Amino acid sequence: MVAVPDVAALRAMDPRALNRLEKTVADQFMGGLPWGSIAWGLGNLAVWLSLWPLTLSGLLPLWIAFPVAILNVMLSYLPSHEAQHRIIAREGEPLFWLNELVGYLSTIPLVLPYQVARLTHYEHHTHCNDPVLDPDIGTKAAGPWQSIANSIARRQPGSTAQSAYGDCLARLGTPEAQTAGLQALAAQLGYLGVLFAMAWTGHALEAALLWWLPRHIGVTYIEFFLSWAPHHPGTGRGRYRDTRAFRSAVGNIGSMGMQFHIVHHLYPRIPLMRTPAAYRALRPILEARGCDLEKL
Amino acid sequence: MRRILGGLFRIMPLLFGLGFLGPLVAQLLTLAGWAPPWGLAPLAVGMVIGGAWGGVAVLTGRWL
Repeated sequence: MVAVPDVAALRAMDPRALNRLEKTVADQFMGGLPWGSIAWGLGNLAVWLSLWPLTLSGLLPLWIAFPVAILNVMLSYLPSHEAQHRIIAREGEPLFWLNELVGYLSTIPLVLPYQVARLTHYEHHTHCNDPVLDPDIGTKAAGPWQSIANSIARRQPGSTAQSAYGDCLARLGTPEAQTAGLQALAAQLGYLGVLFAMAWTGHALEAALLWWLPRHIGVTYIEFFLSWAPHHPGTGRGRYRDTRAFRSAVGNIGSMGMQFHIVHHLYPRIPLMRTPAAYRALRPILEARGCDLEKL
Repeated sequence: MRRILGGLFRIMPLLFGLGFLGPLVAQLLTLAGWAPPWGLAPLAVGMVIGGAWGGVAVLTGRWL
């Protein structure tokens, strides 16, 4: 491990030397295959898919399957997020197919196509907290309860937030973005098609408790912990100001590692499961730079 | 195509009310053992509730 001087010494350091040190420390946490995230993404989807035959055949009661499905949706985003940043493998590498497999499959319960997530997420990184260009700026809210209320309001049919990702893709205007838009349309129609078909074959309750309600609850959770909390108050701009570290009441696992989201924005290719260790190693540097680290 | 899809998504809450909420309400009524008045089928009640809710959501832009 690279030795990091104390905060006072770091503050006195030449800016270029500090940059080099920061990068050297961060580099220690990159690389390798994040098997945990791969197993998480594919395993989570397998569990969620298995709930359908298990409940429809009567082997598993719906009251057990419902909370499992909620958990599945909550867990479905982050493995895809690793793939979005090419953490599993980069284009041209032998395991790039696995990166894309995890990316495409893991967000199926969330009805968020991989390419839509990837392109809009890159825009979020590039324009974090920009009131116009950050596609996730709509999750900004004054406090935790307002964040939950805002998340529900954003899903109302008349909400302008409904078009935030579509507007972002239109702004990008590339063939890739157009394809992603078509994938979003297909995913939405497919999702509704499944719900309608299940409902009209006498399985509306199963569809409601395995997908419709879990998705609403899961989206609320994801918007709260993955978008609102790490960027709150959503006003800071720039590399060391647009995200923060925070101590979550539900801990690191309950907040899915988002306490250390500042590390992700600084070094997006550090795997999620290594961000706590990377944060601890980088903390004096971040403190010296005046980052918002709360009491973590 | 764009116009068709635009129109479809504009009235999607109504379609969702009829296509999903209606049968869902009917299934819940049946599970609860509640017999609708005037000999109405649970699905008919579900379609009225789902359709009305979806229609209001189209007009107001809000489910809740």
